[in-house]
Amino acid sequence: MNTILRILKFSAQDIARNVWLSVATITILVLTLFSINIMATVRVISDNAIEVIKGKVDFSVYLKSEAGEGEILALKTKIEGLNNVKSVDYVSKQQALQKFRDKNQNNQQVIEALRELGKNPLSPSLNILPNDTTQAAQLVESLKRLDSDIIESRDFSDNAAIVKKVDYITGKINEAGLFVIIVFSLTSLLVIYNTVKVTIYTHRREIEIMRLVGASRSFIVAPFLVSALIYTLIAILLITSIFFPFLTLLQPYLEVFFTGYNINIVSYFINNFWFIFGVEFLAAAFAAASASLLAVRKYSKV
Amino acid sequence: MIHLKNICKTYSHRTKVLRDLNLNIHPGEFVSIVGQSGAGKTTLVKILIGEERVDSGQVEIGGWDITRLSRREVPYLRRQIGVIFQDFKLLPKKTLAENIAFALEVSGGTNAKIKSIVPSVLKIVGLEDKADRYPTEISGGEAQRAAIARALVHQPKILLADEPTGNLDTINADEIIDLLLRINRFGTTVILVTHNREIVNRLNRRVVAMERGEIISDQEHGKYVL
Repeated sequence: MNTILRILKFSAQDIARNVWLSVATITILVLTLFSINIMATVRVISDNAIEVIKGKVDFSVYLKSEAGEGEILALKTKIEGLNNVKSVDYVSKQQALQKFRDKNQNNQQVIEALRELGKNPLSPSLNILPNDTTQAAQLVESLKRLDSDIIESRDFSDNAAIVKKVDYITGKINEAGLFVIIVFSLTSLLVIYNTVKVTIYTHRREIEIMRLVGASRSFIVAPFLVSALIYTLIAILLITSIFFPFLTLLQPYLEVFFTGYNINIVSYFINNFWFIFGVEFLAAAFAAASASLLAVRKYSKV
Repeated sequence: MIHLKNICKTYSHRTKVLRDLNLNIHPGEFVSIVGQSGAGKTTLVKILIGEERVDSGQVEIGGWDITRLSRREVPYLRRQIGVIFQDFKLLPKKTLAENIAFALEVSGGTNAKIKSIVPSVLKIVGLEDKADRYPTEISGGEAQRAAIARALVHQPKILLADEPTGNLDTINADEIIDLLLRINRFGTTVILVTHNREIVNRLNRRVVAMERGEIISDQEHGKYVL
């Protein structure tokens, strides 16, 4: 117990009496963690953007104008029962016409042509949203095999090509994002490792003296380990108090960019608080502790 | 007290630093080890404090054979030998009292023991009024006295002084030597490694002269012969 108290005392003394060195170390840790969290934010935003794009990819089955409501709803239920179907929306003739009018409200020629036609030329449809766009080909095959007299048209070739392209692009984005995050995390860990190593390098003469007056290696390394953990903890506390206001400032811009979609970056970080900052603390503490152990080991060979 | 038997030490570049060296130092002796740079004095000190190992021969201190001392045992050896150096080796971010207390804290000394011993050793070296000063706030002579106080906290049977006056002016150097003589009178064996001719001649104690890793002279009441 006495030894633990002495180790804590030495660590506290070291931090307080080398205050500028401590401030510099913590600042570098905070900047590194800030960069990692920025990367995590970019990743969350890009994931959301991909989901938004994927949400726009659907398959439409056009139905005959004379199809009865009951038959349409029965077909809807049948399609909902297929694999990889997230949702099926029924768009009636009237709803389709309204959507068409809304979409072309500024195009007078189209509106005029519609009026001259004198009747609703559009068909009712079922819009099918896939669960997983990478499995869209199987869904298309299932839709092609559907046996129903009320289906007027089921040509999905354009959508299937778009889905394939979207999947290719999102796959590449994910791969590149993962690669950047791995490289960035490793670089950050190296920065933390070297920062702590340099901090201990400045203590190399003291470490030599400690050995000469009879301190065991464990007694020398323990205060440095405690200091490294305290630096990491302070850096994590600071980063949480800096990063949440930053996210709060960013949120309105995201809402404007993703109008109509529910993207809340602040909630994401709150919901995953312990995971994100817990993993960051453990990784940073591991790097700092390893640096302490190796550096003290190097300088205590007296 | 200290028995060195046929010890040899060669560094990696094949320079023989100690050649078949034999030396016996008895309890309570005051021995000056003299020699020019490269004579092997520093290597001898390093061997005595467990910083270096001999290639062959036997090293015994206070009945403890330290020839093949493991790294784990080194701290225990250093708690039994008081050592002072030319550059004092005080921890710069600790006060004098904390520097002295540190030597006890690392060996698990109780708080009560630390509270009683630290002021008493500071008093022995005449620094009781400078306990809360940092090493940068005192003179060289005072820093060396603080280093001696730290070396005394374990009440060592042996005090090893490696060029303790090398960084000091004559007055401070004389004060340090007087302090070492006083400690020797209490029964502590003192080994003084130096190349200061005046000090050695004034002491009129045993002088061991080294040259090229060998003892070339060992006189009971010797003078600086090199």
